[in-house]
Amino acid sequence: MATTTASVSISSSDLNPGSNLSINASSTLMKAGLTTGLTQLRTGYESIATGTEFRLGNKATEMVGDAHNIASWVYICNKATDDTYYIDWGIHETMIGRLYAGDWMFIPWNASDDAAEIEIEAQVGAQTIEYAFFASDFVLPTASA
Amino acid sequence: MATTNATISINSDISSYPMRINNSMTMLKAGTCHGLQETTGLRHKKFTSTTAAVIVEHDELTDDKAHKVYIRNVSSSKENFFYVAYNASAAAATTAETIGKLYGGDWMLMPYNGNVNIVVASSTTETQTLEYMVFADGIVAAAG
Repeated sequence: MATTTASVSISSSDLNPGSNLSINASSTLMKAGLTTGLTQLRTGYESIATGTEFRLGNKATEMVGDAHNIASWVYICNKATDDTYYIDWGIHETMIGRLYAGDWMFIPWNASDDAAEIEIEAQVGAQTIEYAFFASDFVLPTASA
Repeated sequence: MATTNATISINSDISSYPMRINNSMTMLKAGTCHGLQETTGLRHKKFTSTTAAVIVEHDELTDDKAHKVYIRNVSSSKENFFYVAYNASAAAATTAETIGKLYGGDWMLMPYNGNVNIVVASSTTETQTLEYMVFADGIVAAAG
């Protein structure tokens, strides 16, 4: 069984004056509802042009089984260095947040249907992202005839 | 200016070559090199119902900013989970804005624009506990 662990440490000595902040968490990424580890991995390092919403990763119908039960994970890092650059990210047409230069994010993604795709759009200028999907249910698209 | 750092470490043996991701970021205000200075505080909340609940109210936060939201399912069960959604209405499961599911021990950290609520729904009536915190790029003072 493959084992994937994800850990986070968040710290600040001055966000709450007089009280050090220290959050530490670690989890092993499992298949939905099970205690067996995820078995599939996709990574990438891609340039994103401005002005277009891009789909990142698979559609639900490109995964096996009941897509809504998928427990997959997505890591994205914005490799830009200009502080004003950011990437809007969201689910389908709903933008949820701004991934600024140097920021990373790590989220669960259940890919409930094809309209639950992860979308990204570069703002201000073209940017490069690094990403990884950890999943159990990817299938390759069928080749054209 | 406050300095808040977040470091992620992912290790996996899914592929035949070991995969390691190690990355750190300093949480900054939108478009600047200045650190986030505000937070809603670290909260722990027990859930004993499957009814969806708002855990982050967007009207407490400035819109279109570089907020960060940390959420962890403190419980240990790998069978039970929380749906997490970005949604104006009180629903977190099977909506167009469902992000994903946090099983026992799982955590997430995501950038958040502060425009719509963050909603969760437990998959069970068994007690589950969430830990969550917003690192805010602007908190709106409550109206008197």
